[in-house]
Amino acid sequence: MKGRNQLFFRMLLKAVWVRKDRALTALISVAVVATIATAALTVYSDLENKLSREFTRFGANVVVTKKAVSKIAAGTDKSSNSPNELEKISALLGPSGEAVPVAYAIATAPDGSKLVIGGADLKQLKQLNAWWSINKSADTNLPLVGSRVEDKLARDQALTIKVGESDHAIGPHLVFRSGSDDDSRIYIDLPTFIAWTGVQPNTVLLRVQGKPQEIQSTIDRLSASLPQAEVKPVRQITQAQTSVIGKTRSVVFAASAIVLVLIMLTMVATFTSSVLERRKDFAVMKALGASNRTVNVMFASEAAVQAIAGATIGYILGCGIAFWIGKANFEAAIWPQPMLLLPVLLGSMLLALGAATAPLRLLQQIQPAGILRGE
Amino acid sequence: MFFRLLFESFRRQKRRKSVALLAIALGMTIATAMIAVGNDVGDKINEDLRRNGGNLVLTPMEDTLDVNLGGVNLKPASEGAFIAESDLPKIKSIFWGHNIRGFVPYLSSPEQITANGHSLNAELIGTYFDQPLHFGKDDFTAGVRSMSGLWKVQGEWPEDYAAWPEHAAPNVLAGSKLADENNLHVGDEITIGGRKLHISGTVNTGGAEDSAIVAPLHIAQTILGQPNKVRRVVVSAMTKPEDAFGRRDPSTLSPDARDRWYCSPYANSIAFQLHEALPNVRVDQIRQVEQNQGKVLSRISGMMLLLTLAALLASALAVSAAMAGTVLERRNEVGLMKSLGASDAAVASLFLTEAGLLALAGGLIGFLAGAVLAHRVGQTVFGSAINVQPVVLAVVICAALLVTFVGSISAVRKAMQFDPAVVLRGDA
Repeated sequence: MKGRNQLFFRMLLKAVWVRKDRALTALISVAVVATIATAALTVYSDLENKLSREFTRFGANVVVTKKAVSKIAAGTDKSSNSPNELEKISALLGPSGEAVPVAYAIATAPDGSKLVIGGADLKQLKQLNAWWSINKSADTNLPLVGSRVEDKLARDQALTIKVGESDHAIGPHLVFRSGSDDDSRIYIDLPTFIAWTGVQPNTVLLRVQGKPQEIQSTIDRLSASLPQAEVKPVRQITQAQTSVIGKTRSVVFAASAIVLVLIMLTMVATFTSSVLERRKDFAVMKALGASNRTVNVMFASEAAVQAIAGATIGYILGCGIAFWIGKANFEAAIWPQPMLLLPVLLGSMLLALGAATAPLRLLQQIQPAGILRGE
Repeated sequence: MFFRLLFESFRRQKRRKSVALLAIALGMTIATAMIAVGNDVGDKINEDLRRNGGNLVLTPMEDTLDVNLGGVNLKPASEGAFIAESDLPKIKSIFWGHNIRGFVPYLSSPEQITANGHSLNAELIGTYFDQPLHFGKDDFTAGVRSMSGLWKVQGEWPEDYAAWPEHAAPNVLAGSKLADENNLHVGDEITIGGRKLHISGTVNTGGAEDSAIVAPLHIAQTILGQPNKVRRVVVSAMTKPEDAFGRRDPSTLSPDARDRWYCSPYANSIAFQLHEALPNVRVDQIRQVEQNQGKVLSRISGMMLLLTLAALLASALAVSAAMAGTVLERRNEVGLMKSLGASDAAVASLFLTEAGLLALAGGLIGFLAGAVLAHRVGQTVFGSAINVQPVVLAVVICAALLVTFVGSISAVRKAMQFDPAVVLRGDA
């Protein structure tokens, strides 16, 4: 028995050694399939996280307002989001989210026109609205004046606004451009705002982190725990996130599937032709008295060894490619997924076994003598 | 003699040649499909996003400040400056006119509405729904329906009336929140400014429209007494993600660089051109959308490019391996030819011509199959075809030739190093 096993392993080793080029071709074809499968699957499984992370740059994706905010604006209702509600919001957002309470009121410009002023933690506000183009990058707590306000009212002059009956000077300020209604607003520090207007924060801008379905479930939980408030997603942002991530995943999936199927076909063709090429070996083995089973085991073991070696190399290369794609494109590594190793190994082995043993059935129908005569 | 050898080689080795051809064709199918999909995915997603809203906003230069609080517009229509509605088709006249996917004008004012016998205050918003327009020889439509990914309408969309219809109350949409709070239903009649309007549907946008009445622009203009006037226009333009060059001020650029800047579809250059076409208008990027989407799109395009590179490399390896296999299989022929006096160059040229022919045929088949696959991916994912640029054919044929030659050369060289006598004895 020992001798039989030794002979078997010697034949296995020699088959690879004597026809190094042929073995290498088969190994490369398995490795290519495993590399692409690993890289595509690793990238695909992490894609939602990576792209969702990109969407946090969009700033606030949910806005919580006290119901009937217009009453607050008109000064008839000075209620606010109580500290208790803010705590609830922070608890629901978790450590990765951000909540910026903002208060709004209407002021009068020197020319008699109305404008909206907001009060907020200016540092947090700038952080949340990172896309605002601000004329100076100084990290100061200076008031933020919208570009349209600057063009209309300030023009490098001292800007004074009237809140209620008293005049207030805005003083040195930064000018920002957003392309939204904020361009017609002035934001000042919250304590100053409260001192000027007596109005407490009535809106909370939220940046909810996570995948589209996680954002939606946070919105649902916020709505349930804050019945007095209106919780609205910024639909252009949340919809864009859902649509972009969904489409991208589908494209990556479709493209990877095409590539994988085609590469698998190439691999099967390579394996099949390398077995057919060896019909003389097959005939010699049969002529020397090997049973069909022995020959099958011989060829299948060769294919399995090549598949395991190729798949292991491919898995390592594929993890490397996925890591590189993450670093090069998303500036954050896409880490290897150990749970992919088994499916990649098993898949490659099954494919190789199928590709190598299918032609044997064809050969078994032919007499060894015929093959040896070259027919 | 050479051509007979070539012809016979293909005729007698159909199986081997078809395996090689299959490998090349499959490799090139991957190349074509991935290049086409990778090249188009950014544009396709961009186009998709552009249907969800605009990225540029036009306001009158001399306008007063917006007074918008909690999504409620508190500025009356009588205040401030306007853009002339008749000037709007000029938006399409700019150099990047074909990149303008659509635009939506708005005219709005807080108004008193009489509904079901009681009165309430809400905003009246006038806009285009699907207004046919033409500029020069171009006919196009503008309005929320082409940019209405976020507008969920229950009931019927109103028509854009060219003139006030005498026979019936014109159709309008009621915001879903307004309708819920005031018990308004599809089919109800309301009165604004003495004009009767018919609610043909309710609309939910997640924005200010939810608490407003949305009417065709011309109806709103008549009610508000502001003919040919709009307050704001939101433009949806296909733009290129902004880079350092795109952020430059065109007045500081050299004439050549300025031309390059002007002829690139950056949001800034499109905004600049819109300002040229409509001089009394201030054009702003909606920065939350424009600045961030560009980044996301460049990430996606980048990822597809890298995946394409990985797939190309893999298919090149697979093709090379298959070609090396087919050449090595024929070392007996090399031995025979050499023993009959053929020079190395003659043998190599025969093999390389064969490889070239296979590459041409495989490249062509692969290109066609890849184009079909890319088309199917486009239809399935985006509902619109991904078109393969003809230049990809040239790229694919070159790639096929390169990969096939590289795969064959090392094998041919190795086959020629064998001693003919040893090869023919079958010992090699």
